[in-house]
Amino acid sequence: MKVSRRNFLKLSGLSLTALATGLGLDPEIAQAKGYALKTEGSQKLPSICHFCSGGCGLLLYIKGDRLIHLAGDPDHPANGGTLCPKAASLRHVAYAQERVTKPRRRAPGSDKWEEISWEDALDKVARKIREVRDSSWKGSEQLPDSKTGRPVSYAVNRAEGIAMLGSAEVDNEESYLLKKFSQILGTPYNEHQARI
Amino acid sequence: MTNSWTDLQNSRCFLIAGSNCAENHPIAMRWINRARDKGAKIIVVDPRFTRTASQADIFAQIRPGTDIAYLGAIIRHILVNKLYDKDYVLNYTNALYKVSKGYKFDAGLFSGFDAKGKKYSIDTWGYQLGPDNKPLKADSLEDPDTVFAKLQEHFSRYTFDKAEKITGIPAAKIKEIADTFCQAKPATILYALGMTQHTTAVQGIRSYAIIQLLLGNVGKAGGGINALRGEPNVQGSTDMANLFNSLPGYLPAPIGTDKTLRDYLVRNGSIQEKPLVALLKAWFGQSATKENDYCFNYLPKYNLSVNASMVRIFDLMNKGQFKLLINIGSNSLVSIPNRQMVRAGLAKLDMLVVSDLFEIETAQFWREPGVNPAEIKTEVILLPAAFVYEKDGSLTNSGRWIQWKDAALKPLGESKPDLEVLDSLFRRVRQLYQGSTDPKDEPVLKARWDYGQEPSALKVLQEISGYDETTGKLLPTLADYLKAPAGSVSTGCWIYTGVTGNGNLAARRKNGDPSGLGLFKDWSYAWPANIRILYNRASCDANGQPVDPERKLVWWDPVARVWSGNDGPDVVDKTKGPDTPEGKQSFRMNPEGVGRLFAAKYTSGMPVTPPADNLSPIGLRPAGLCVDGPLPEFYEPVESPTSNLLHSEVSSNPLVVIPATVPGIQKVGKPEDFPYVLTTYGVVEHFCAGGVTRNIPVLNELMPGPFAEISKNLAQKIGAQDGDTVEVASARGKLRVRCLVTDRLQTYKVNGKDTETIGIPWGWGFASLSPGPGANELTIGALDPGAGTPEYKACLVNIRRV
Repeated sequence: MKVSRRNFLKLSGLSLTALATGLGLDPEIAQAKGYALKTEGSQKLPSICHFCSGGCGLLLYIKGDRLIHLAGDPDHPANGGTLCPKAASLRHVAYAQERVTKPRRRAPGSDKWEEISWEDALDKVARKIREVRDSSWKGSEQLPDSKTGRPVSYAVNRAEGIAMLGSAEVDNEESYLLKKFSQILGTPYNEHQARI
Repeated sequence: MTNSWTDLQNSRCFLIAGSNCAENHPIAMRWINRARDKGAKIIVVDPRFTRTASQADIFAQIRPGTDIAYLGAIIRHILVNKLYDKDYVLNYTNALYKVSKGYKFDAGLFSGFDAKGKKYSIDTWGYQLGPDNKPLKADSLEDPDTVFAKLQEHFSRYTFDKAEKITGIPAAKIKEIADTFCQAKPATILYALGMTQHTTAVQGIRSYAIIQLLLGNVGKAGGGINALRGEPNVQGSTDMANLFNSLPGYLPAPIGTDKTLRDYLVRNGSIQEKPLVALLKAWFGQSATKENDYCFNYLPKYNLSVNASMVRIFDLMNKGQFKLLINIGSNSLVSIPNRQMVRAGLAKLDMLVVSDLFEIETAQFWREPGVNPAEIKTEVILLPAAFVYEKDGSLTNSGRWIQWKDAALKPLGESKPDLEVLDSLFRRVRQLYQGSTDPKDEPVLKARWDYGQEPSALKVLQEISGYDETTGKLLPTLADYLKAPAGSVSTGCWIYTGVTGNGNLAARRKNGDPSGLGLFKDWSYAWPANIRILYNRASCDANGQPVDPERKLVWWDPVARVWSGNDGPDVVDKTKGPDTPEGKQSFRMNPEGVGRLFAAKYTSGMPVTPPADNLSPIGLRPAGLCVDGPLPEFYEPVESPTSNLLHSEVSSNPLVVIPATVPGIQKVGKPEDFPYVLTTYGVVEHFCAGGVTRNIPVLNELMPGPFAEISKNLAQKIGAQDGDTVEVASARGKLRVRCLVTDRLQTYKVNGKDTETIGIPWGWGFASLSPGPGANELTIGALDPGAGTPEYKACLVNIRRV
């Protein structure tokens, strides 16, 4: 093999490794060994971008349970492997230091967070749901009758004190359960980003 | 979107107005550029010379909030010069329908205005009906009673010159836009929040619908009206109805006076019986029976007069109505207009629960700079949420493609998918009510809720798609649902029926495109019934044959006697040919079966003789209505530098809603004090309220903070250089940012007077790796009366160099 200037430059980046591993300077072997990509041996799993509503396909490169690279899904009909700068940055979310990783509570009047367990967090919220639902329950209300216009009592079954916001940021199944949950509790006050 | 991202390649002309898709929906440009390579023209109308504008053949700078004025001029141009598609207009719109004799428009108001109640009584907005209760149709477009005649009369006021004086776009340029757009077929319109965040939101989009119906562009490959939706699953969450006034699948939510299912059907038509009953079966299973009205009484009934849309919820919060807010994937403290309403409202809660990836502003409102935490008694629970690729589930993109993804990673740390949190919370609440005999607790105790010990997203999607309740088997297709009797099937969202009928179709990955039209029918699943281009019956002539030989979507096969095609036919019944009443319908979701140029009050199938038992009659399908008029009319934004040139006495939308339970919380500024127009927008490097992107260092490096974009003239006037700090103030708040002096904004004339627009990207707040002032300190929570969308895109401000 002829070592062109271009190949030599490529090679020189590897030469330290090559020397250290005792391969010597046989460029043919060094070149064959030298270009293993960090993605080699990773599993490629498709997903969907989480920014605009383009629904572009992502390809996640997973190695040993860790995300090591993220690219556009070349098989996806809409984006065909391309990604915008925001989508391309999505690999940074996986291990972002600022991610919240444990439930937290801020007590009334406090100026700081405290960590709490999931068990305690969910228990507190569930109890609060029941408390507010019971105390703000509106079984009926006076409304003008559609024919006479006079006020009549109608059953309305509303938990007036509970509101739920969300979400255009969660999956269909989550958005659906949020709606179902709020209706079963009796709150029509479920709104989200689509309104604005 | 009526069409899809991949269909944009088929267009001959784009009107991109109210969208900066090159930055906010970059994938759009991939397909727009393919069309341009084949000769398509790009028209961009925007308050700023955006990155999208830089790709345009024609660019027009418009004053924010005045779109209806120039669109009205285009409609007039089409009518006066007979540029409409006559066959399409006659066969597929209500142009020939005779409008009620009492209908009138005068001095900015439609007939039936109730000044005290700030609403319309809409009885005069109907059709003249025959003895069979069907609309009377004229023989020709010349008939003075027709919708077409009303359209001509209404838009006769919208001359190019008048439009120039209102919008600031030169008349010659508006004419150039009109000529270019009308000459190219098929042509499409792309819009986003630039059109919807106004107090005239609905009527702006109605203007688009009128233009596209007149030109015969709806239902065609490369045509349609494409709303570029703003968030990863905002299409899906709208379908699932996280909205106070609807239920999944676009069913109206019941109101207080709906005592029974029958009352509900009197208001909403018998067409809603099957989907509502199927929903109640999905939610209450065997407990929902015909005898108990399918548990209709379990549903909460909202109060029509409260109108509890997003901004109003924060208004009610300020009043002290809510004690508990559960906030999932939403950062209101940055994203809601006039954010002092949010700040004050959250402090009135007993408990705020936030589920998010990051410690967003809303979760830590109690420690915003300037706030004393000791004074805030709200308990806050912050739950760590799993990210999109850490959980199974589906997202619906703007083109209605329901796309499934499996979890690729484990949730980080202890974070959990919201599905698991909601499931766990519900089961705990049910446990707390165990043993209760109070009737109010029955819905909680009797709900069908079983998604496994480790809740499965697929099981939820299967519930959404639906079951045959007799056999317990999944419903194979939408057609199976449609032919089943009410009460025998369940669907959580009827328009999604079939998505899991024959395997999980949302997970399909076959990317072949045999027609070359970008339909990709075997990739994921599009609702409804895998139809990729809505209203595609209208791409055929009266005989059911495609009018565009290069873009054949569907056709009637006279030999096999069936509708078939490259796309799924959007028809009432595939076996009903174009010679039948069903086979003629190109817009089957409208009661008339045709496109509505005039949004008339009308219900199909009203019985000729009312029920003998003195009950109110039930029709088949009522029309969707616009509360502020059957035709679009131009109104000034609530805060405007000028008064309405068409009718100064009714300057802004007469039905506008400005929720302000707490007096003074929504001050309205005057042009004497706040002479400049502010518009807000996004940038490609950041997303919405920035909760995610402001925590990604590479994006912060690319776009470190917000700025105020101003013209060179304005910079000179206030003595500011590029990069100087300026203070921008509205009647509601103020902020300091650096100014960007640019040619992208130019001084323009409004009714002869020099006018300036200031632009500020909005998605910043006090938290994250890259905090910055948020433009919603300045904006106003004035709402479109129909949609409840706030007027983020236009308000008045002043600016000075600091």
